Amino acid sequence: MFDFTLTEEQALLQSTARDFAARRLTPTMRAHEEARGLSAEAIRGFSELGLAMASLPEAIGGQGLGMLEAVLCEEELGAADPGAALAAPGPGAFGRALVELGTEDQARPLLAPFSSTASWGALAWTEARALDERPGFAATATPEEGGYRVRGQKAFVTHAPLAGWFVVCAQVDPAAGWGGLGAFVVERGEGVTVGARHRTLGLDAAAFADITVDAWVPAGRRLARGGDAAALSRLFAKQGLLAAARAVGLARSAFEVSRDYCEGRRAFGKPIGHFQAVAFKLADRLIDVESARWLVWRAAWAWDHGGDEVAALRHSAQAIPTALEAAMRAADDAVQLHGGAGFMRDYPVEKMMRDAKQLALCAPTSTTLDQLATALDLGLVPDPALTLPTPETQPIFT
Amino acid sequence: MIDFSFTKKQRALREAIDSMGRHVVRPQSLSWDQNKAVPEEFLRNFYQIAQGMGGAGHLGSGDEPAREPGRASETNRTVMAGAEALAWCDAALMLTLPGPGLGAPPVRGSGTEEQRRRFFSIFEDMSGGLRWGAYGLTEPGAGSDVAGIRTTCRKDGRDWVLNGRKCYITNGARASWVVVFATIDPALGRAGHRAFVVEKGTPGFSVGRIEDKMGLRASETAELVLEDCRVPEENLLGGEASYASKEGFMAAMKTFDNTRPLVAAMACGIGRAAYEVGRDFVRDNYVMTRPIPRYAAIAERLARVDRRLQAAWMLCWRAASLADHGEPNAKEASMCKAAAGEAAIAACVEAIEICGAAGTVSSEQRFVEKWFRDIKVYDIFEGTGQIQRVVISKRILPGLHGF
Repeated sequence: MFDFTLTEEQALLQSTARDFAARRLTPTMRAHEEARGLSAEAIRGFSELGLAMASLPEAIGGQGLGMLEAVLCEEELGAADPGAALAAPGPGAFGRALVELGTEDQARPLLAPFSSTASWGALAWTEARALDERPGFAATATPEEGGYRVRGQKAFVTHAPLAGWFVVCAQVDPAAGWGGLGAFVVERGEGVTVGARHRTLGLDAAAFADITVDAWVPAGRRLARGGDAAALSRLFAKQGLLAAARAVGLARSAFEVSRDYCEGRRAFGKPIGHFQAVAFKLADRLIDVESARWLVWRAAWAWDHGGDEVAALRHSAQAIPTALEAAMRAADDAVQLHGGAGFMRDYPVEKMMRDAKQLALCAPTSTTLDQLATALDLGLVPDPALTLPTPETQPIFT
Repeated sequence: MIDFSFTKKQRALREAIDSMGRHVVRPQSLSWDQNKAVPEEFLRNFYQIAQGMGGAGHLGSGDEPAREPGRASETNRTVMAGAEALAWCDAALMLTLPGPGLGAPPVRGSGTEEQRRRFFSIFEDMSGGLRWGAYGLTEPGAGSDVAGIRTTCRKDGRDWVLNGRKCYITNGARASWVVVFATIDPALGRAGHRAFVVEKGTPGFSVGRIEDKMGLRASETAELVLEDCRVPEENLLGGEASYASKEGFMAAMKTFDNTRPLVAAMACGIGRAAYEVGRDFVRDNYVMTRPIPRYAAIAERLARVDRRLQAAWMLCWRAASLADHGEPNAKEASMCKAAAGEAAIAACVEAIEICGAAGTVSSEQRFVEKWFRDIKVYDIFEGTGQIQRVVISKRILPGLHGF
């Protein structure tokens, strides 16, 4: 029975995240942006909040909460500051990669440090350029002395400047194209050189950089399903949903800030919100926010109530672009409705607009996901180039 | 608890409707559209089968089981699940199904117990003949601005005397009774409104023209004329005392909180039908031998259509779910209605564009052009897209009382 009622535990989790976001993130939004990183106090706050491992399985040291709980929290954090939400310490995409691509025995020891110290991991997936000569990655992993030599360059790696550990995706079998991938867990000191931090459009609190890898990795740290297209698409769909949930939060905030502004700002003798051209815009943005939220919930629910993976993948492919586009529209309208003030950093909306655009590149793009959704509905076995964000389709920040 | 799946009962209902749609309804849909009617015999058979399906009985029935205190009802959601599926088969058929139709919510919501019994009982056994109810609010001079109705009512002895015209009334000519809204004094605005159940055959009550429409042609849309029409006071919905407050108008409006998600769900059903036509056309006519659809732009358009429909569909569930939980849902009902009408229109437009010229031509295998004609009104009736935005605006801007 279709229903939207949260359990008491879910409601509590949601309000905890909302309180934390309102008290600790909203007031420091600009400070974190200007410092281009979280304050020590905020890092402590995130650690106390204890959400970093929440949606990872208990067997590997997580709390075993579902994707639904994860998106509930991410919406709240995203509503306050999607940059801080992304910058939060924890295993993040690295942890999710270990869960989806590795075995429990591989994941457990690698994740253990994250529960005691505020630290970061990174997923190095994207490459700056697509190869002309064959499908697949330029970065390679070749067998060497009971392990692998992983070599290559990876682009736009989220948390790279801070991360102690990386999951690096590389070509094991060049002849097999996208079917010949492997994923390797590499410690920073083993041969990861982190390049200069990128200056980005938005999400400034989070750090992005390119990396160069030249490392020998023991065979035991090759993740068991690192070349499995289904596992990889699960990973990207779930990580994409977290970005989508933050986008729903951002869209919600952009809507709320605009609504309040349009009630207060007067022109021609009445609040500007009382003109239909303005009010209808607000109404449309609320429709966007809510429909995106329910699609994100449905996709998260589908992953939690497994069975039909194709349906969960398709729901995700519909929810993610809907949410990311909703955020972009809401932020764009928010700047527009604020008029000249919207362009000024005294107001939060210009940041929302930059963050929304950057968020849209933190997940597989709309183009990719739309094609994936159609391919799934046509019963075609999707090409890895559709299920996975590849250099052909679009670089993403992972 | 959060859930995004159908109940067993809802699934069975939808499967039954789907199967009837494929094998029985759609093969005749086009001829009904051309003949501007669903044959009475078909309706009788269809109604009997629907009765046998249990849940489908809800689609045309008036009264719903009372909600147990503290427990959510399922009615709005189950009816909606069926409505979407039925509209997928043929929206005109759905509007033509026997039963009180849109007349049900005001009788259920505002009628006295005696009135509910009296007006709903005629639908319990229709073996002797099919019956319909109808809802008469719109007038030539008052559509979105409901407060502007000019049909008058005047108390005369134990009767009320009604004068005026109602237009665009679904099933208006065949209805056994129509809920008619009138005013004791236009100057009083909403406070002057009264709702009556006007029965067929009442002296002074007649049917004007039957409209010739763009779409939903098999559904009857009638003009109703009230000329010194004498309605007994027992037919004033809720009795006179209930109009002391603003309840009269509110009753008319409250109807929409339940019917808008239902109408929005119908739009989603038509939209889904159109999306499937586009998708199947792409599959069968384009060279999709490679796993990557070669026509990326078309694949993307299809996906956009579907996710817009899915977004609207989720908003429908949200609105119906709130109603089942006994919570206010006016804003959500308007949101789903606004989103679904537009999403479904876009779905029909895209389906035709994808099919090209073939999309504009009806055949028994494919008649998306009919749905294209059917769908437009879903952004108009039960409140235009613009009126939905007025409703939403008033609920998100606390200081706004009207434009």
